[in-house]
Amino acid sequence: MMGLASYLLISLILFVAGLVVMIARKNIVAILLGIELILNASALNFVAYSRYVTNNLDGHIFSLFIIVVAAAEAAVGLAIVIRFFQIKETVHVDEATQLRN
Amino acid sequence: MEYTVGSIAPIFLAPVLAFIINAFFGRKLPRQGDWLATLSIFISFIFSARIFSDFVFGKFATDFYVHKTFTWFDLSHASAVWKVDMGIYLDNMAAIMLLMVSGIAFLIHLFSTWYMDHDEKHGRFFVFLPLFTSAMLGMVLSDNLFSLFIFWEIMGFCSYSLIGIYNKKEKAGDASLKAFMTTRVGDVFLLLGIVALWMVLGSVTYVDIYAAIAEGKFAGQTVMGISFATFTALCIFLGAMGKSAQFPLHVWLPDAMMGPTPGSALIHAATMVTAGVWVTLRMYPLMVLGDITWFIAVIGAITAFGAATIATVQTDIKAVLAYSTLSQLGYMIMGVGVGSYNAAFMHVITHAVFKACLFLSAGSIIHTVHEQEMPKLGGLRKYMPYTHFAMMACTLAIAGIPFFSGFVSKDRILGDALYFGFMAGQNPMLAIVPILGFAGAGLTAFYMFRMMFLTFYGENRMHHDSHGHGHGHKDAHGHESHGHEIHQEHLDVRQNVPLLLLSIFTLGFWFAGTLTGQSFGKVFGKKVEWFKVLVEAPRVEQFVGHNRQPWGSVDSRDKTELPHAHYHHQSGYAGPNPDDHKIHKAHTIGAIASIIIAFSGVFLAFLMYIQHTVKPWADTFSGITTTLQNKYYFDKFYIDVLIKKGLLGLNRGLAWFDMGVYDRFAVDGWAAVNRVLFTASRWFDNVVIDAIGVDGTGVAVNLFNLVLRIVQSGKIQFYFIMLIMVLVSYIWTLKF
Repeated sequence: MMGLASYLLISLILFVAGLVVMIARKNIVAILLGIELILNASALNFVAYSRYVTNNLDGHIFSLFIIVVAAAEAAVGLAIVIRFFQIKETVHVDEATQLRN
Repeated sequence: MEYTVGSIAPIFLAPVLAFIINAFFGRKLPRQGDWLATLSIFISFIFSARIFSDFVFGKFATDFYVHKTFTWFDLSHASAVWKVDMGIYLDNMAAIMLLMVSGIAFLIHLFSTWYMDHDEKHGRFFVFLPLFTSAMLGMVLSDNLFSLFIFWEIMGFCSYSLIGIYNKKEKAGDASLKAFMTTRVGDVFLLLGIVALWMVLGSVTYVDIYAAIAEGKFAGQTVMGISFATFTALCIFLGAMGKSAQFPLHVWLPDAMMGPTPGSALIHAATMVTAGVWVTLRMYPLMVLGDITWFIAVIGAITAFGAATIATVQTDIKAVLAYSTLSQLGYMIMGVGVGSYNAAFMHVITHAVFKACLFLSAGSIIHTVHEQEMPKLGGLRKYMPYTHFAMMACTLAIAGIPFFSGFVSKDRILGDALYFGFMAGQNPMLAIVPILGFAGAGLTAFYMFRMMFLTFYGENRMHHDSHGHGHGHKDAHGHESHGHEIHQEHLDVRQNVPLLLLSIFTLGFWFAGTLTGQSFGKVFGKKVEWFKVLVEAPRVEQFVGHNRQPWGSVDSRDKTELPHAHYHHQSGYAGPNPDDHKIHKAHTIGAIASIIIAFSGVFLAFLMYIQHTVKPWADTFSGITTTLQNKYYFDKFYIDVLIKKGLLGLNRGLAWFDMGVYDRFAVDGWAAVNRVLFTASRWFDNVVIDAIGVDGTGVAVNLFNLVLRIVQSGKIQFYFIMLIMVLVSYIWTLKF
């Protein structure tokens, strides 16, 4: 039986996994990956509700947008990470303290 | 005859121009510009002579005048009139005075070109000389007391500069300061009088003052309890006393001979000292209204007699002449006081002529023999015949010998004084005026002939004792006196011609028409007695509603011949209670008395200094002699008592007040108050502004920071957690 609940369950697992990665890991790249997981969890939610509840294509379009935004976000985020690494020679998130004080 | 400004103003402007050119470019001019100064005065003389001939030969009327005005500034607002007019006022008296001043000043300039030749101060001297003359001419021309005061002060400054022209000599500097300061005492009062007149009348123009007197505007006005007319008259007369060196303020004039002799001639004869008499004459109606003529007469008589007594013991030629000037000025002032208006003015003119000549003669002697102490001179008649001639003519004039000008004018004054003192029904105490006047006349004859005899007659004493005692005297050039070889005098245009020209005018008939001025030997008709006819005290009624002529106008009024009956009376007496018959009697007695007195003075001098039959009284009356040699201790009194005791004491008191009270309480007290205020404001600044305002803001921001710093940790994952917590709490609230 493949119902709405199973999609939501997978989405939930993805979301929690992304959240845990985002909070627990100190590697910036890992945090970016966590964000990607959360975005994907929300995209899966959109598609699942679109299929089982409203039965139209709105959710699909939303998820397409989310993929585009995620791609853009990843491009910008990775660029920042690369510059960061060039300056600090590390990707540890706690080293990013230049805006402090 | 027509008058425009252009025909009057050059009298004043030509010497001013010469002054300006000499002051700035004199050094570059040949002979340092002395010819320019002389020429400018000659131009003045030409213009003055034209006016004189118009006034004297053109019209025999006392009431003709030319009055041109322009508005100097006008601050009138609504009904308040604040308007100052300047202008020219020409009447017979001014015309005569202009000719006298410019003529004598010209001759003095001419003489100075000889006297000051090769002198280190030559250029400087010829800067101040034309300025001095122009100020006097301007004063004579001015139509109001205000411009008169301006010229008056310029003259004061010029006399200061001329007296102190040898500024390396300490005595000259002291004398110039003394002259300036003493006249300043009078000037303060003059200014006060002018301001008082201005405040009440709103004008200080002569004609306005005359009109105000005629209209009775002075009636009932009082200042500090005394009548306003008396107050202003007294103030103006005190100014005149300072300038004309009258009794308490006379001390500066004898010292004024420290300057070069021609400068003294100008100060003593044509300008400066006559200014005081001039303003007294101009303000004569005010003096009468203020009822101070008796005071004027007494002051004049005291000066006339006191100065004559001092002159009898002086040994310096110039000192004798200086005291004789004082004495003669006393006669002029006395003449004004006793109502002898016409004769007082005539004495101004006659005295100017013979005193200028006397001073120039003295200058001629001093410059030739480099000695001015009479005991060391003597017998100069042989060496200096021209100077002797001129000086003798002037001495005869000043001594009051008949047929000479001094007799004419002085005798009229004495005649009027006799009437004033004994017959006019005045206070019997005023008999002192004619008594002092006649005594002074006798002394004048004595001391002038003493001077002549000691200087020109007897043995020449220069080679005998000039190396003896009293060596320290210096002549006007600062040379030590030595037994110079005396050169025979030759007729020199610049040295002798001025003297001889002036000595011609010491003859009486130039002024009187008759040789004596009295009924004896009257040779011309009444018409020729131009002086009596032309000069008369201003009749104030004539000026009510007078109309002024605008500055640019051409004045061409016809002459107004008055019937002879219109003149008060023939004597020219304008004093109280005129009675023609008695006046005539007084004049006859006065003439006889003054002739006797003058001749006895001359005779006494002859006995003492030529015949040596009478020993000079210096030893017999040594106490009096000492008093006289010390000039009645006036200088001593002024310096030791007035200045050292009075003024210095007062100054010390004022200094104590200034230091002890003013400085201590006002200045230091104010400092203490400020210090308290300063402490308070410092506390306010430190505590309120700095601590609370400025630092408080920082502390407050810091406190706020403590909270923010916790939240803004800079750790991105902390932000995430907070984000999720916010999200969770949001969802949590949605659920309920």
